[in-house]
Amino acid sequence: MEIKIQGLTRDYFSEGKRIRALDNVDLTIPANRIFTLLGPSGCGKTTLLRCIVGLETPDSGEISIGGDLVWSREKGIFVPPEERGLGMVFQTYAIWPHMNVFNNVAYPLQSRKTPAPEIRDRVAKVLQFVQLEGFENRPATKLSGGQQQRVALARALVAEPKVILFDEPLSNLDAKLREETRKELRRFLSELQITAVYVTHDRIEALALSDLIAVMKAGAIVETGNPRKIYFDSDHRFVADFIGRANLIKGRIATEEGDHAVIDTDMGPIVGLNSQQIRPGSEAFLCVRPEFMKLARKEAGNSRNVFKGKVQALIFVGEACEGEIKIGETVLTTTIPPTEDINEGDTIFVSFDPDHCFLLPN
Amino acid sequence: MTLILIVGFLTICPVLMLFLGSFSQGLGAFGTFTLEKYISAYTDPDFAEILLNTLIFTLGSAVVATVLALFLAYMNTRTNIPFKFLFGVITIIPMMIPHILFAVSWVLLLNPSNGILNRLLMQAFGLENALLNIYTLPGMILVEGLLDLPIAYLIIAPAMGSFDVSLEESSKVCGASFFRTLTRVTLPVLRPAILASGILVIVRSLASFAVPSVIGMPGRKYVLATHIYRTISTGFATDYGKAAAIGMSALAASIVLIYLYRYLTSESSRYVTISSRGYKPTLLDLKSARIPLFGIVGFLSFILIVLPVVVLFYTSLLPYVMAPSARAFSLISFKNWIGVLKDPVSLLALKNSLTLGLAGATLGVILSVFVSYVIVKVRTTAAGILESLSFLSFSFPGIVIGVGFMWFFVHTPLYGTLWALLIGYIATYLPYGIRPLSSAFVQIHSHLEESSRVCGAGPFQTMRRIVIPLLIPGIISAWILMATMFVRELTLSVVLSRPGSEVLAVQILRFAEDGLWGRLSALGIIMIFFSSTLVMAASLLGRKLMKAQSLSA
Repeated sequence: MEIKIQGLTRDYFSEGKRIRALDNVDLTIPANRIFTLLGPSGCGKTTLLRCIVGLETPDSGEISIGGDLVWSREKGIFVPPEERGLGMVFQTYAIWPHMNVFNNVAYPLQSRKTPAPEIRDRVAKVLQFVQLEGFENRPATKLSGGQQQRVALARALVAEPKVILFDEPLSNLDAKLREETRKELRRFLSELQITAVYVTHDRIEALALSDLIAVMKAGAIVETGNPRKIYFDSDHRFVADFIGRANLIKGRIATEEGDHAVIDTDMGPIVGLNSQQIRPGSEAFLCVRPEFMKLARKEAGNSRNVFKGKVQALIFVGEACEGEIKIGETVLTTTIPPTEDINEGDTIFVSFDPDHCFLLPN
Repeated sequence: MTLILIVGFLTICPVLMLFLGSFSQGLGAFGTFTLEKYISAYTDPDFAEILLNTLIFTLGSAVVATVLALFLAYMNTRTNIPFKFLFGVITIIPMMIPHILFAVSWVLLLNPSNGILNRLLMQAFGLENALLNIYTLPGMILVEGLLDLPIAYLIIAPAMGSFDVSLEESSKVCGASFFRTLTRVTLPVLRPAILASGILVIVRSLASFAVPSVIGMPGRKYVLATHIYRTISTGFATDYGKAAAIGMSALAASIVLIYLYRYLTSESSRYVTISSRGYKPTLLDLKSARIPLFGIVGFLSFILIVLPVVVLFYTSLLPYVMAPSARAFSLISFKNWIGVLKDPVSLLALKNSLTLGLAGATLGVILSVFVSYVIVKVRTTAAGILESLSFLSFSFPGIVIGVGFMWFFVHTPLYGTLWALLIGYIATYLPYGIRPLSSAFVQIHSHLEESSRVCGAGPFQTMRRIVIPLLIPGIISAWILMATMFVRELTLSVVLSRPGSEVLAVQILRFAEDGLWGRLSALGIIMIFFSSTLVMAASLLGRKLMKAQSLSA
């Protein structure tokens, strides 16, 4: 179901100061997609999620879920969380410690006065779905982190909600389990064909799980797009920098070449994608991701976007070597396959594909 | 809002009444404004001596309790002393022994005319006169200090336990000796906790009535609490106005001290660093001192727990107080027990105390649940007011509040009824219910409630199915605390109870004043029995409820 948010504002008061957690947010979350709110901590993403669920009341604006208005200051509408028919997985999972798995999962159905035999069937079905068959009588305190996460998911799904919301559900798991659970979650969600809103500060989680990502900063949404668009050709410097490691090279646009443009930098002219059609003469940044830089001992035939530099530092981190290459006065970071025979102090040629670096307005 | 009104009424009303009363003409009713009561109260020739006594008594008790608590806490958290379970026992069991009985047991042991221990010493050394006299300031200080030891320990031990040992280790690496480390690093870092414990003991001994009345009054050593009591209960003109005027200064001192305490405890969290590395500090090996030091701990637990019960039980079987001998054992009988069980006033007192304990604790806990909920979860300005109000009553000396309530109740039909006692109890002991419940609320993560709301349960159902079940441990401990406090309540009751609304502790005080030690002891043992049963029943019930919860849910 589609979620429509208009002009949402929320202020906090902390130690006498007013902090704007949400600043006039307009957002449409399309139905049956996995939609991620991504941003650094304190950017307002969790506040936005809690406003959608109804655990927090905004100061102004409107929220409607599937065409039904659930919050509007102007029209005096506030539908309490228990009547919004949503499912939510909390960061702490919020598994009730005094109940067993069955009662935790059955709770939403019990609250809706579903007949007992039906509750049993549906709980069994959803537990099977999250691969926890036979866990019904396990006390909630005797569950591992991953199991708790799945109980929380089962509880959120059991009443077949219109929308399911996730508040950083993987941040309490250790690195390895997080990766496995992420894949599992992706599989569950794509099987379900349900509208999901997912909050995280982890860019890999966002890229791996989402159909659409909205990047937030200081209470506002900076950019919305699919993972590839955000990663390969974001519109904002903040987003480009936040979604992955990036070398941002400052310069001035010289000439346009179709959907590409040439930017004059300290290193020399570089060709990059110019999907925002920045005008010649204006200041801009070129974003080059370390993983798209190619290194060669000899100068290749095509001389576009090829620069001669020196390996200034090289750090072995296992899956790769992280290198710093000095070209003129500019230092770029890059990743080098660890098997490559490159050493500190070597002179080297760096090239990047004009389609894999992009221009950002200043 | 209603909550603020209720709590505000319970805390502010007696103070206001006390204040008005202290400025009123006449003996027990409001009259025209006058400063007469203040003048007569504070120009009393005895007053300077009473103040000095109070000062010595409270400071002395604070020193005794805090030093012993420091010793015990150090032994428990930092050394390899054997039988560490004793430390837990020392902090819990004395709760079941009412202060007045503890004081009485010391009178029975050490009074100059026929104290059991004094008699034994006289026989052993062939002395003419008693060696020790409990009816003195040092005697009062000793007993009060021992009584307040558990509370001092409960403040100091956690601070000692969370002490970052690397502070000490670095001092040792710097070349400081053990004692230098102790005096230059350990104790200074613990200073806030030590001061906090000292101040709390001062507040409690200022409010203490059991020890000054049972031990102080026979020796004519009056402190503020007993002076107030004397003003309202003896002589022909009971002057509540004068009592109120004296009470105002005790109240003011307590309030100042308790805010100082609060400031220090909020400070102490900054000082005492909780080691994040979570490793256990190396325990100091006591080597050959292990057994002698344990002897001291064992002796302390003996005189705190075993001795009072044994002395009382022994005395309850004898016609009059005497040292153990063949003759004494030949006189053993259950006469006192039968006397008490046939005494209508004692039985009424027993019934009243139990009613007050059960009903009062239940009502008090219900009120505490709501107040704690507002304090912890709502967090508005109103919640702040509520917290301050409920904390304020923590500092009220019982006898002073009693006088304040007296001023209030004489104008209502509640005067002289159990209701008056019930309201007074709840008002005075509300913080004891709020504290365990607030910490229980703090432990319930807000997500647990919120997820219930998202799952389709309304606020009421969330309260019933999620919050209350998770609160049960807190509810039980608050209930036990309040019930035991109420069953043994003395200081408020001494002022508020009237014929027909006698309670156990007051009846015991009457027996002590009349020198009926045998009956007193029998009734005392019954009292200890009931409060212990109460504690055990409540904790059993709590455990059962928890189990039932996890099975049915």
